[in-house]
Amino acid sequence: MNQPVISGHAPTPPAARMENHGAHMVKIAMATGQDVFARTGSMIAYEGFVQYEPNPPAVRQMASQWLTGEGAPLMRCSGDGLLYLADYGADVVCLNLDNEAISVNGTNLLAFDAHLQWGVERVKGLAKFAGQGLFNVGISGTGWVALTSRGTPIVVDCGRGEDETYVDPDALVAWSTGLRMKSKRTMKASALIGRGSGEAYQIAFSGQGFVVVQPSEDSTDRLRVRG
Amino acid sequence: MAREFQRGHKAKISDLTAGTDLYVGVRISAPGLTFDISCFGLDADERLSDDRYFVFFNQPKSPEEAIRLLGPQAGDTESFRVTLDRIPGHIQKLSFTATIDGAGQMSQLDPGYLRIVAGGEEVARYAFDGSEFTTERAVMLGDIYLKDVWRFAAVGQGFDGGLEALLKNFGGEVLEEEPAPTAPAPAPGPAPGFAPPAGPAPGFAPPAGPAPGFAPPAAPAPQAPAPAPVPPPAPATPPAPATPSAPAPAFGQPTPPPYGGGPGMPTQPGFPGQAAPPGPPPAPAPMPPAPTVPGQPLPNPFGQPQAPQQPFGPPHQQPFGQIPGQAVPQGPAAGIGVALQKYREAPTGQRWTLQNASLIRADLGHDGQPVLARQGSMVLYQGKIDFSYKGAGLAGRIVGNATGQELQLMRCSGRGQVFFAENAAHVHPIELQGDAVCVSAENVLAFDETLQYEVRRIEGHGIPGGALFTMQFQGTGTVVVKTQGTPVVLPVTPTTFADCQAVVAWSAGAQVIISSQVRLRRNAYPGHSGETVNLQFRGAPGNFIVVQPYEV
Repeated sequence: MNQPVISGHAPTPPAARMENHGAHMVKIAMATGQDVFARTGSMIAYEGFVQYEPNPPAVRQMASQWLTGEGAPLMRCSGDGLLYLADYGADVVCLNLDNEAISVNGTNLLAFDAHLQWGVERVKGLAKFAGQGLFNVGISGTGWVALTSRGTPIVVDCGRGEDETYVDPDALVAWSTGLRMKSKRTMKASALIGRGSGEAYQIAFSGQGFVVVQPSEDSTDRLRVRG
Repeated sequence: MAREFQRGHKAKISDLTAGTDLYVGVRISAPGLTFDISCFGLDADERLSDDRYFVFFNQPKSPEEAIRLLGPQAGDTESFRVTLDRIPGHIQKLSFTATIDGAGQMSQLDPGYLRIVAGGEEVARYAFDGSEFTTERAVMLGDIYLKDVWRFAAVGQGFDGGLEALLKNFGGEVLEEEPAPTAPAPAPGPAPGFAPPAGPAPGFAPPAGPAPGFAPPAAPAPQAPAPAPVPPPAPATPPAPATPSAPAPAFGQPTPPPYGGGPGMPTQPGFPGQAAPPGPPPAPAPMPPAPTVPGQPLPNPFGQPQAPQQPFGPPHQQPFGQIPGQAVPQGPAAGIGVALQKYREAPTGQRWTLQNASLIRADLGHDGQPVLARQGSMVLYQGKIDFSYKGAGLAGRIVGNATGQELQLMRCSGRGQVFFAENAAHVHPIELQGDAVCVSAENVLAFDETLQYEVRRIEGHGIPGGALFTMQFQGTGTVVVKTQGTPVVLPVTPTTFADCQAVVAWSAGAQVIISSQVRLRRNAYPGHSGETVNLQFRGAPGNFIVVQPYEV
């Protein structure tokens, strides 16, 4: 059992709190007192002594709007060790916020440091269009955030022209806070954009900042679907 | 993969691996013999000046845990984890040694090795066997030493005298101090060198077989595997420690043991068997040594305080990749911008720009030519783009009706940038300059409206849906094809076949033939018709087909 195939995929010593292991897995170095919120069901492996508290009271309050009645899809992970998370083979992007803020589509949020400030907010005027209700999690502070993306994401600068940037909500991963956003519905009967038929809607962003988009319109919350 | 070392060879660790977190495994065995493998952390004078850096089964880690004993695993008789950059400055050399526990000599050795594994890969291996030795009873297998940089040396030097000689070699005072070991000397165990401290309570020194001197109560139990070769004079004692210490392994592993523990046994929480208070040595007789030892500063750090805490079990439980007690590396506080830098948008300029494997951008407005794209494939756009419905034409209707999966197109016109992607599939722009290509209708993502295209229908028995629809593109422009996974491009030869569900595109010069394989027996289970229908391609050299690893 000392073949390169096996040994070549051994984890490297942790060099940062959150690191990619390959493109589709995040490795979190856990320590006591530095808890992490992670999507329920995203844990694929852990080493050491890590405990999970699903639906912790703090989250229940914060995420009451997230999805009503089912409890928040977050668990608090605490302990010492290494924690591996993944979301059905989606690409994982680790961000280290340096006193910054970012808004993340709830489906694309994988994990974040518990000491960050965060809150759940619905996107005004958009929730009723998206099938599952579009909500986003605003995160700010200094710490680590892990996002998922179906396929390699792309970052687009919004402030390039005077025109707005329109994004398919199913492909939206994250955006910088401070962007103005509004919904755009294409009411023309001849215009059929987006998944489904009849109604097409996009989110328009304007202002200085960036938008992270995934190359897929699969916005299914797989972790939630599995339950 | 692993660099082979022979006796006397040396190398810089940095030449072996970039990492400083090393796994050192030792395999040593001989019929009927037991070995004690330990690591001496030596100072610049090659003396064991700090006893806490003698890492062995009874002291499985150094104070700051730069050196940790991990126990047997993965074929290694014993293994260590060495974190070079955490080793304190006064430790200049780590010497890995093996001593025979009991009678025997090194010439009996089976082939063994000392190996260094870093980052999951074996980077160095020093192999040895009994033919290199004669009557030695201890051997220094290899050193990791600091000489400007950390280096590794395969040593393979034996000592006739066993561990005592080894200890004498490293720091004689331990031995010199105490003549007593000669008494238990018949116990050739690994520990006699440490026995002396127990001198004040001579009665106790002998009881434990494998670890005569150190480790008052708890140690003997975990060490049970090495049966006492010595007939101990105090027969009553050995059984006693065994029981109380039994529960020990289960507890307290993760907490770093208090080192240099004072006179008393530090109270170990969750150490049920023995109430810790040293004063009233409770159950086991052997305990008294502990309190007595404190008088002797030197040996003290050994066994006693830690002993109960370090059964053999825990090392296995401590995952190798984990660094308990160490502050979690926070990594550089780079900020979002740096982290996302690699996902930045590619610079504009061309009409079609591949952003990454699964995302392509079209810059509209250079020539005012619209783009036709599969509906719903737009993920983002900037500028003034108008999307309008585009029927696939009459032939396209037929596609839709026949397959139930209509290829619906939309026309994107205006000025700006549009990003296309679908389901994270790989996208491949194919630029046509007057030539033609056939693409399976399901694999078309977008194309320039300047291209002429027509829908073709390939009929054949056994094709799902009754027919395979392809679009033939011709002219000058770009067609973007999507594939699930990395496709293969095959030249068309007289014997080129492809599954009709996996084929993506082919050059229009190739002629398609349906080839049905006749089978006597079909696979019986429902839903599987076997690979009965294939497409055969014929064409002049230079033609190609593209096949994806995914059968739609």
